[in-house]
Amino acid sequence: MIADVPRRAPGSALEAQVRVISALFMRELLTRFGTSRLGYVWLIGEPMMLAVMISTVHWLSGSHLPNDLPTFLFYGMGYVPFMMFRSITSRGASAVTSNMSLLFHRSISLLDLMIARNLMEMMVCAAIVLLFILGGMLTVGEVPSDPALLILGLLLSALLGHGLAMVLGSVQVFLEFTERLVHPFTYILMPISATFYMVEYMPPEAREMLLWNPLVHVHEMNRWAMFGDRVVPHFDLGYVMIWVIGLNLVGMAGLRGARPRLSMSD
Amino acid sequence: MIELDNVWKRFEGRQGHRYVLRGVHARIRRGDHVGILGRNGAGKSTLLRIFAGVEAPTRGRIRREMSISWPIGGSYGIQSSLTGIANARFIARLYGMPLKRTEEFVADFSELGPYFHEPVKTYSSGMMSRLLMALSFAVDFDCYLVDEALSTGDARFANKCREVLEVRRANAAMLLVSHNAGHVKKYCKTAAILRNGTLEFYEDVDEAIAAYQGL
Repeated sequence: MIADVPRRAPGSALEAQVRVISALFMRELLTRFGTSRLGYVWLIGEPMMLAVMISTVHWLSGSHLPNDLPTFLFYGMGYVPFMMFRSITSRGASAVTSNMSLLFHRSISLLDLMIARNLMEMMVCAAIVLLFILGGMLTVGEVPSDPALLILGLLLSALLGHGLAMVLGSVQVFLEFTERLVHPFTYILMPISATFYMVEYMPPEAREMLLWNPLVHVHEMNRWAMFGDRVVPHFDLGYVMIWVIGLNLVGMAGLRGARPRLSMSD
Repeated sequence: MIELDNVWKRFEGRQGHRYVLRGVHARIRRGDHVGILGRNGAGKSTLLRIFAGVEAPTRGRIRREMSISWPIGGSYGIQSSLTGIANARFIARLYGMPLKRTEEFVADFSELGPYFHEPVKTYSSGMMSRLLMALSFAVDFDCYLVDEALSTGDARFANKCREVLEVRRANAAMLLVSHNAGHVKKYCKTAAILRNGTLEFYEDVDEAIAAYQGL
């Protein structure tokens, strides 16, 4: 029996990369959801509570959104993509420091850790978005006006979050205190990211300022994809792409520079 | 073959930096069973991590022409919140081994019984090293880097490990670091002493042990 050792099948570099990421992905799935079922409930619970709360305030104050936009769906669909960006950023940024024991395996790179973790976060949040959309279709008969654009929008928030996570994660290796700044930073971003309003509702000077933020473009695009011509969106896809490419390149370079500085000594 | 050429390692501490390795030269060939003796804090684990390629040397070159295990010891490379079997699956996926066969091998070799399905954080240190040795033996590495993991097992388990290494002697090399001369004598054919940041090789294990104990 002892002599009968399993043998490895040889494979290409790409296969090896996919293998490492899928192993990490499966592990991430187990550590995140394996122990408690409450995790799932809270994921859908948080955006639901928020959307219900804001809709209630709206209903009590007797105000309506323009063009009869469904309040609950408007806020829910505004918050979930932001939530995805935020959780990818904050969970991804800690991927390096909280997975040090995995770095004992030489084949695992920092980029692999990031991709596995963020891929899962993206899939989880995409499932929540799907639930919101299904809910909207069943209750108020709201069908997304451009589903393909909505998928692109979600992908872009995920990629922005992924890039920023890599940048923040590698900065933490050089300057440890920046770990504390990730959370406040994502909170500050919320009001200036057009999460709960449209740029169109703002005065012109404020619009200009807001449109520097790439997330604003993504959220505007998402709402247009969802509600069609009942909203007037302000977005520039090219501008978002520049941010996505920039953050991802800087992030990958940062991780590459950070790896030799990490020490596993206890 | 693995070759270390003038490897230096510096650590930044609160009171300035400190060199743990000061020009280490080494060559490990297929089938070599080398023990590295050193006192606590001599830099044994650091050296092993550099061999494994998971930590970069400050200066010097490393050539690797074998597949090398991760450093086997402590709780390195395993997830303590997950069960033994979940860790076996993770290792199988990571190193591209067949899932079912790996699970069976690890269950059989580690002899953890029902604990195989319990989280690793509930394991005793003996159980932990049995799992670690089983996980690493489940993968057909050319070189195994063992960091004291063999020192906590009982005699029966030690014999089993020796048997595996014996079977794979033609291909598999082993590098064992320990502060305990007895373990090096039991598992190794040659030995070296790590002291003052340099590595001194001896042809004969007994000679190395005599020199180490005379320190």
